[in-house]
Amino acid sequence: MTRFTNSLTNGLTRRGLLRSGAGFAGAGLIGAPALVSSANAQSKFDWKQFKGEKIDVLLVKNPRADLIQGAEKAFTELTGITVSSEQVPEQQQRQKAMIEFSSGRPSFDVSFISLHVQKRLAYKGKWLEDLKPYIADATLTSPDFDFADFNKAGLAFATQSDGSIQTIPQFVDYWMVYYNKELFAQKGLAYPKSMDELMKTAAALTDPSKQIYGFVSRGLKNANIPVWTSWLLGQDQQTVSPDGKLLTDTPEAIWAAEFYRKLNKEYAPPGTIGFNWNECQTTFMQGRAAMWLDGIGFATPLEDKTKSRVAGKVGYGITPPGPKAHHSATFADGIGISRGSSKAKKGAAWLYIQYMTSKKEQLKLIKSGAGSPARQSPFADPTVNEGSIFPKDYFECLLGSGKIGEPGLPAIIPVTEFRDVFGVALTNMLSGADPATELKKATEAFKPVLDKSEL
Amino acid sequence: MTGMPATSLGTGKALAATPPAGHYDFSRKYWLFVLPAVVIILAVIVFPWLFTFFMATQEWQVTGATSFVGLANFYTLFQDTRFLESIGHTFYFTILGVALPVFFGTLAALVFHREFPFRGLLRTIFVMPMMATPVAVSLVWTMMFHPQLGVLNYLLSLVGIPPQAWTYDPATAIPTLVLVEVWFWTPLVMLIVLGGLAGLPKEPYESALIDGASDWQMFRHITLPLLWPFIMIALVIRTIDALKVFDTIVVITQGGPGTASETLNYFLYLQAFQFYKIGYASAVVVIFFVIIVALSLLLLYARQKSKWDA
Amino acid sequence: MPHVLRKLLKKLGFYLSVAVLVSPALLVFLWMLSLSLKNELDNTAYPPVFIPSPPTFANYIQVFAQNNFGLYLWNSILVTGGAVLIGLLVGVPAGYGIARGKSAKFAVLILIARMTPALSYLIPLFILFQIVGLVGTKTGLMITHLVITIPIIVWIMIGYFENVPIELEDAALVDGCSPWQSFRYIAFPLARPGITVGGILAFIFSWNNFIFSVVLGGKASRTLPSAVYNSLTFEQISWGPLAAAALLVTLPVLLLTVVAQREIVAGLSAGGLKDG
Repeated sequence: MTRFTNSLTNGLTRRGLLRSGAGFAGAGLIGAPALVSSANAQSKFDWKQFKGEKIDVLLVKNPRADLIQGAEKAFTELTGITVSSEQVPEQQQRQKAMIEFSSGRPSFDVSFISLHVQKRLAYKGKWLEDLKPYIADATLTSPDFDFADFNKAGLAFATQSDGSIQTIPQFVDYWMVYYNKELFAQKGLAYPKSMDELMKTAAALTDPSKQIYGFVSRGLKNANIPVWTSWLLGQDQQTVSPDGKLLTDTPEAIWAAEFYRKLNKEYAPPGTIGFNWNECQTTFMQGRAAMWLDGIGFATPLEDKTKSRVAGKVGYGITPPGPKAHHSATFADGIGISRGSSKAKKGAAWLYIQYMTSKKEQLKLIKSGAGSPARQSPFADPTVNEGSIFPKDYFECLLGSGKIGEPGLPAIIPVTEFRDVFGVALTNMLSGADPATELKKATEAFKPVLDKSEL
Repeated sequence: MTGMPATSLGTGKALAATPPAGHYDFSRKYWLFVLPAVVIILAVIVFPWLFTFFMATQEWQVTGATSFVGLANFYTLFQDTRFLESIGHTFYFTILGVALPVFFGTLAALVFHREFPFRGLLRTIFVMPMMATPVAVSLVWTMMFHPQLGVLNYLLSLVGIPPQAWTYDPATAIPTLVLVEVWFWTPLVMLIVLGGLAGLPKEPYESALIDGASDWQMFRHITLPLLWPFIMIALVIRTIDALKVFDTIVVITQGGPGTASETLNYFLYLQAFQFYKIGYASAVVVIFFVIIVALSLLLLYARQKSKWDA
Repeated sequence: MPHVLRKLLKKLGFYLSVAVLVSPALLVFLWMLSLSLKNELDNTAYPPVFIPSPPTFANYIQVFAQNNFGLYLWNSILVTGGAVLIGLLVGVPAGYGIARGKSAKFAVLILIARMTPALSYLIPLFILFQIVGLVGTKTGLMITHLVITIPIIVWIMIGYFENVPIELEDAALVDGCSPWQSFRYIAFPLARPGITVGGILAFIFSWNNFIFSVVLGGKASRTLPSAVYNSLTFEQISWGPLAAAALLVTLPVLLLTVVAQREIVAGLSAGGLKDG
């Protein structure tokens, strides 16, 4: 990576030094000594080496992208790199990434990747630059980037099958259970300690005459897969084995599907067959569902008194253990550099990624409630829950889930089609079909798709 | 040249005074008028068609590699129950999505043809849905359909009707989408039929009145036959648009619940832009195309035969 | 007396049917207006809150603050305006040529083009644009919108010109007029109502199309409807701003219709569509 050192021409000015030092002190690296050390570290690293470059960034529309865009001004001041970024909603962003990367000439230099959906696709399609050489190059990577700080789940998502790291994980989402403490207290119930108990608790809390339901989760095809895999992880099983075999019609998979069906049919409001996260969220925010299984990234509006009727009454529970294991279905977003970009743009893009996934930015992420960071250091920060809208059990749930995180979707190329085919099977079960038959049918339908995808 | 409307002749020039000296054969001189349009159509319409035919014979891998597979995509397609079901859904949707707007649109035209206070304002309000951007308004419909919190179920509860599942039940998903379609497109039918009503001659009614015909008799034997060409046009336009319905489905149901509202066009979208099976999706386009060509030849044959052969 | 009563009942029935016809449109638009003027808590409340009290303009402010609304509006105007203008420029003469030349082949081509779903053009056009470097540009988007506007306009114009009496032109041609002059001075003025209808319908369909812009648009060329579609965020859905955005997108076309409604009805009653 010495080719980049050629551009090491811009010395660091005093003002730039002070500014960057101050910036990192603001990151909450406790106290004065840290400030000095980070300032010293800064003096060795040249943030201005790609001054004058212009990069295009494709973001996924979410609160984390708001934070990133908010930090772009400071980044430009620090580096002299101009950034033009755009937020595109998840579905269309994946589409855009797919179409433009496949065309070989993407219109952006940096892109977010939903690692739980497009990791393998990005690898096979050779979309992204391997970042390992960048991380190893001291002239390109600031000493305080501290790659070892990223947590296991995030790194597992970011590492490809050949060991290359093509994205830096920015956000890890854990599936957990939101519960309405008020409804629980009315019935004198405690948060369930196992999946079986969760079923019983849901039954006890359901009261259709009052339009109160014990449980709500996604029923819409495609979106409903993580609900099923959450239960399946309780049987200590994934949907696809490491050597690429489908495990979707095993007794465990059928058990999880039956569990899914019973909860969504008997203890959830009618119509969940068409519910995505937003319908579930609305139902829960209106106080009509006692429990809601979904990603923790959806927490922010629940605590917003202008939007939610349950603000201040929400409990955050770790997905309870199943019969054989205790896991939390996990998803992750990462940022990578387009392989098609020019050398200088790649360098500038790397500085952008470093900056946006720094300890400072990751701490901002958790403090603003925008989601769970992929680094460990933010959790250890003493100021993390200062002035937070979230109660203590939110942070405990994040930490606890992080320890038992397992991917919620298989690392295969046709993830979307997987979600679609099995999503339809789950939906059919909700309208009365037999779980074992549906799963068998879906497995048979999907097998050729999977086999073909790896050719 | 039947049915020449008197209204547009009002602006005719005095040239009409010259008697026609038999038809002058000029059909060859008119290709220049068509040329610019042909050039554009070749580039943006015909080229995509040809390219689609080519792609339909390819296995198009996500990673960029493509290979020729002949008709294999079509073979798979006809064994794909989801594809076959989507054709059924398309026809189900189209039949309802044509019949209902045409019925209500004609009815509305008859109502708005009469004079009554605030007619202009009320007609404008009635026509508004047609102008509304489907993507945007469909999002609002989605919320109105929410089984627990939706305003529609609330309104039903006021008149004692139990809550409906709307698009949240496979059985009612397509009828509910048709409801939205009716809301959007009844105004267009109304405008077309209203146009027809405005051009109706007065004489038949006058003589019918003298003969003592009832309102219904006059409608049945005078208005309806005269309006028929306009209703046919509305029917054709509605058929075309209902066949390729997309916006409302992608926003409201995404083809669900399950596959209950997956139409041909949505199936195509799924294959092309969700699963990225370019070759397979192109085969869907080709089949779609065959259906469309068959239909349009049928329509055109009927139309041109009655006109140009006359 | 019974006669008067019957008349009264008839009148009552008539007004009832007017009310039934108008209320779906009225209710949905009023509900959208209500959503756009309330806060989120009221928007998701059950039983629903109908009258905003107090009304808030926060949703509208948010739409303008969070999105590049002005830019998207301008893009939509350029893309749709350009596509309709070019569509009229080439489509009106083409409709005339096809009608006068009695070219059934072109007529079939146009009808098929009108029926083919826009979606099916996306992949080939994307590949074509990739080669000529038009992906993500407003020009590229405008060209794709021609796929929508040209068939509609040509199709409607064929019907109109067929209804312009050929005798007038025959006479002119015998008197030494060129086909162009007979088009320009005789057929064109007579078909003006049709041009209005064709232009407005093409405008509506082009304005409301969002899938081209979703796939082919870039951040500088996105159109308004796809921007509204994009305003659905994953983590939280906000009905208020959404309704506000929906009303704002629809507003330009709505204004156009209110202004041009008389022309549309006149154009349609001129009979062009009858044989279209």
